[in-house]
Amino acid sequence: MPQHITLVVRRAIPDGPGTRRLVLQDPDGWPLPRWKPGAHLDIHVPGIGHRAYSMCGDTARADTWEIAVKRETTSRGGSAWVHDVLNEGDVVAASMPRCTFPIADGAARHVMVAGGIGVTPFLAMAHEFERRRAEWALHVLSRGEPPCATALAGCAQTGRIRVYDTTKMARPSWDALLDGGPAPGLHSYCCGPQAMLDGFEEATGNWPAGTTSIEHFVPPTLPAAEGAKAYTLCRSTTRGEMEVEPGGSMLAALWELGAKVDASCEGGICGACEVRWLEGEPIHRDRVLTPERRRTHLLACVAQCSSERLVVET
Amino acid sequence: MPEATIEANRPGTTLLRAPTWNGAVTHLHITARAFLPMRPQESVELVAGRGIMGDRYMIGVEQGYYSEKPEEGRQVTLFESEVLEAISRDYKVEFLPEEHRRNITTRGVPLNWLVGRRFRIGPCLVEATRLSVPCRHIEQILDKQVFDAMVHRSGLNCRILVGGTVRVGDEIRPE
Ligand code: FES
Repeated sequence: MPQHITLVVRRAIPDGPGTRRLVLQDPDGWPLPRWKPGAHLDIHVPGIGHRAYSMCGDTARADTWEIAVKRETTSRGGSAWVHDVLNEGDVVAASMPRCTFPIADGAARHVMVAGGIGVTPFLAMAHEFERRRAEWALHVLSRGEPPCATALAGCAQTGRIRVYDTTKMARPSWDALLDGGPAPGLHSYCCGPQAMLDGFEEATGNWPAGTTSIEHFVPPTLPAAEGAKAYTLCRSTTRGEMEVEPGGSMLAALWELGAKVDASCEGGICGACEVRWLEGEPIHRDRVLTPERRRTHLLACVAQCSSERLVVET
Repeated sequence: MPEATIEANRPGTTLLRAPTWNGAVTHLHITARAFLPMRPQESVELVAGRGIMGDRYMIGVEQGYYSEKPEEGRQVTLFESEVLEAISRDYKVEFLPEEHRRNITTRGVPLNWLVGRRFRIGPCLVEATRLSVPCRHIEQILDKQVFDAMVHRSGLNCRILVGGTVRVGDEIRPE
C-alpha cells in the first residue's frame, strides 16, 4: 500500500454469527480523515495483500472507524486473519476510505436491501439518513441471526429496519422489498451475495437510470473490451513507456514501469487503482466511476485502450 | 508593496532596491501522521534542526509516508492566507486554513520570493529551502478539487535555525 493510515484495533466485538466488528482508531486517538457512508477501507493483510471492507460506523465519530468482517469459508485468507490472528491492541495498515457506493443525495426516499454481511454499508447510511431526517427503510435478509445484530439493535428505535430470517419465513418478494417502485424520488440500494444482486438487477431493470445502486463484494465478470488494441502506455512523470497487448493489465504495466499505484479487488469495483489519464482513448470497464469522472480518470486494473498511445499521470 | 532600500538577507549578497515586507502568523496547525486532519494550535514549539513538536515532519519521528516523510529541508511549512482567499474566490471552493496541510498560515509574507532566504517567525529564525509542491492526495483527503489551483502557490518549506515558541499573531519579518 503506497500510502497508508496506521490504525489500532481498540475493540474486536463478536457481533452476530461468525461476525467480528472491529473498532479502529489512531494510536494516539488523533481524529481520522473524514469519510462518507458507503465507503470502504482496504486493510493490509500481512502476507496476503489488501482486502476491502465496508465501513459500518457513524461518520459523525471523528476519531473512530468500524468495519465488520464475516468469516467466509471461501475466503482468500482475509477474514480468517481478522478472526483468528488479529487481537485488540494490534496495529493495522489501511487505505484512505473510498466511497464507491454513495448515498443518492437527490432522492427523497431510500430503500436498502442487504443480504447477510452486506448490511455493513447500510449501517453507516442509516446514521446519516437519521441526521438528515430522510425517509428510509432497511431490509436485512439473513439465514438465521443477522450479522451486526448489536449494531442493528442500536438503530432499532428508528422503526425503519426489518430483519427477515429466511430459515423461518418465506423470502419476501422484490416488489414488497422495493416498496412497489419505481416511483418519483425513490432510490434503491442493494448489497449482498451475487445471487441477490442479480435478483435486484432484474427486479429494477425497468427503473429509470440513476435510481438504483449496487455494491459488489466480488468483482463481476468483466464486459468485453470492444475495440481494444495494443498500445503504448506512457507515464507523464518519468516518460517511461511500455507496450501493452490487448487484454493485458495496465496495472501490471504501471507497476513494471515503477509507478506506485494501489490495488485491491483487481476487478474494477473498489477504486483503489484509480489514475488520471491525460491523452489517448481508454476503454473503461469498471463499475464505480461516474461518466464525468471517466473523462479524467480510469481504473488501471480493468481499463483497456482503443488508441495507439495512452498517457497517465503517475 | 512599497519598495525601499534595504540590505537583503541572503548571506553575502546585497540588493540595493529590494521590496520590504512584514507579515504575521494567522493560524497554526499540526498533525501527528500523514493523511490525518490538521489540528489548530494557539502556539507551536519549533525545534532547531528537527521540526515542530508533535508534527509528522519532526525529524527522528518517522510517522510520514512518501510525500510526508520527514526531510531535512521541510522542518516547518508555510502557506499564504492570501492564496486561500484567491483560490476560494477564483475556483468557487471553500478552502480553509486547516485544509492546505501546511503548519503556519501567514498574512503579508511573499512566500514565493523567499527561497534561499532567512526570516524570523516570532522568536525563531528559519531558512527557506524550496517551494512546496501540491500533492494529488489532498483532493482525496478533502474531497475538494484544489490541486490545480495550488500549483505554483503551494507554500514554502523551511529548515529551523533558531527554535522557540511561535504563537498565532506573531510577527514574520526578514532577518
Ligand atoms: S484494484 Fe479495485 S478497482 Fe482496480
